[in-house]
Amino acid sequence: MSVTTTSSRNRSPASPKDYGYANARIRGMRSRLLSRTFLDGLIAEQSVQRLVQEMDGTEYTSDLEDALIHGIDATSVDVALRNNMVQTFQKIMSFLNAEAEYLVTTLLGRWDIFNLKTILRAKHMHLPLDELKDGLLPAGQLTPVDLEALAAAEDVRTVVDIAVTWGLPMASALREGHAEFMRTGELASLELALDRYYSEWAKARLSRRGANMRMARKVLATQVDVANLVMVLRLQSADIETIDVDQYFLEGGADITRELYMVLSKMSDIDEVLERLRGTPYGRALDDVSIKYLEQNSISVFERALEDLFMRRTLGIAKGDPLGIGVAVSYLWAKQNEITNLRIIVKGKAVGMPEDRVREELILV
Amino acid sequence: MNKNRLAKWVFGSTFLVTMLVPAMAFAAEAEAVVGEWQSYVAKALAAGLAMSVSALAAGYAQAKIGSAGAGTLAERPEASVWVIVLQALPEIIVLLGFVASILIVNMPVTPA
Repeated sequence: MSVTTTSSRNRSPASPKDYGYANARIRGMRSRLLSRTFLDGLIAEQSVQRLVQEMDGTEYTSDLEDALIHGIDATSVDVALRNNMVQTFQKIMSFLNAEAEYLVTTLLGRWDIFNLKTILRAKHMHLPLDELKDGLLPAGQLTPVDLEALAAAEDVRTVVDIAVTWGLPMASALREGHAEFMRTGELASLELALDRYYSEWAKARLSRRGANMRMARKVLATQVDVANLVMVLRLQSADIETIDVDQYFLEGGADITRELYMVLSKMSDIDEVLERLRGTPYGRALDDVSIKYLEQNSISVFERALEDLFMRRTLGIAKGDPLGIGVAVSYLWAKQNEITNLRIIVKGKAVGMPEDRVREELILV
Repeated sequence: MNKNRLAKWVFGSTFLVTMLVPAMAFAAEAEAVVGEWQSYVAKALAAGLAMSVSALAAGYAQAKIGSAGAGTLAERPEASVWVIVLQALPEIIVLLGFVASILIVNMPVTPA
């Protein structure tokens, strides 16, 4: 087990160093991210084989060569892409200064929660292992090997037991959530425990002073706001008379206060929620997709719009901060976004998805 | 020391010296009042300050550019020419300080 969440990664940012070296290096790496035109070219390819050939000469070449020894298929390409992301993230972590590493580790912690939730959901719904692996993105502290071991667990209880045995930082939250899960049978209690753990853990870690801490807090606050808004929107389709909506509120947001959250969650329909959010930074993004929502009648339209907004904000954070943590955070999100987009394209090609549909699925390119 | 505080300190010192050097030069011209040897001391101090602070400022700038340049070269070796040019640019600061100190030292001292 190679989780480092509790020891070396928790070192204090007492001696911040120069960001010049790391930021210049990251900018160099950023210049090699794939362009929109290149992605369009990949979408236009007729098969996964042609797509792999097209990617020759990019950052992914060596990972593709390693993964495609046994034949070219979507699963192998997916493995190559994930390997590339893990290596890129490890490379960045290796040259970040103490403060930057501390901040990035905190912000990337969301991926550990995301992966754990994916595994718990899959176990709860008895999904096949291959399908579960497709949903994992090893961008946090849990390595692909850790995730594989967790994914191989028999059921929800085993996942929790493994987390406790490994001494993962979120183990206590998982244990508490599991007790509630056993009582109610609702997986939401486990997910809520994880979300709450992360928002409190990250908030505590980012409570120190300094411009970089402030910037990381801003990213975290937007993330928490988005999570709270998604919850509000989901509650619209639930019977809130029987639910204690307050328990789903996560502390640490910027614009969505507990009061606003309570007001929003008690509103009778989506239009009212959108109207009330108009004065907040999230109003426009939600308004822009309101017609699409009417067409599709699915809350996921709003969820996607909020995720896109969060991504856009995080990608743009480097613009105001050329000599701080913003460059690293922005690149890590951009890289993760690129990998997600490539995975969408590869999966789309493998199942014969129409080009327009693939383009629609891509995130902010 | 916090990097922002260090940058402020270097900037402040440079600003102070740019103000101080002409003042000391004027002081050197007013040797009728202070006498010949005091003028030499004042000129030597002014020249030394002009040279040393500009050299420190250039060093600070080159350290920053150097670390960023090393980072750039690690990922984009093709940018080496640009990195060398940028690395050399702060030398101008120390050259200007050198010129200023030469001018101060060569300033004529009129006997009282």
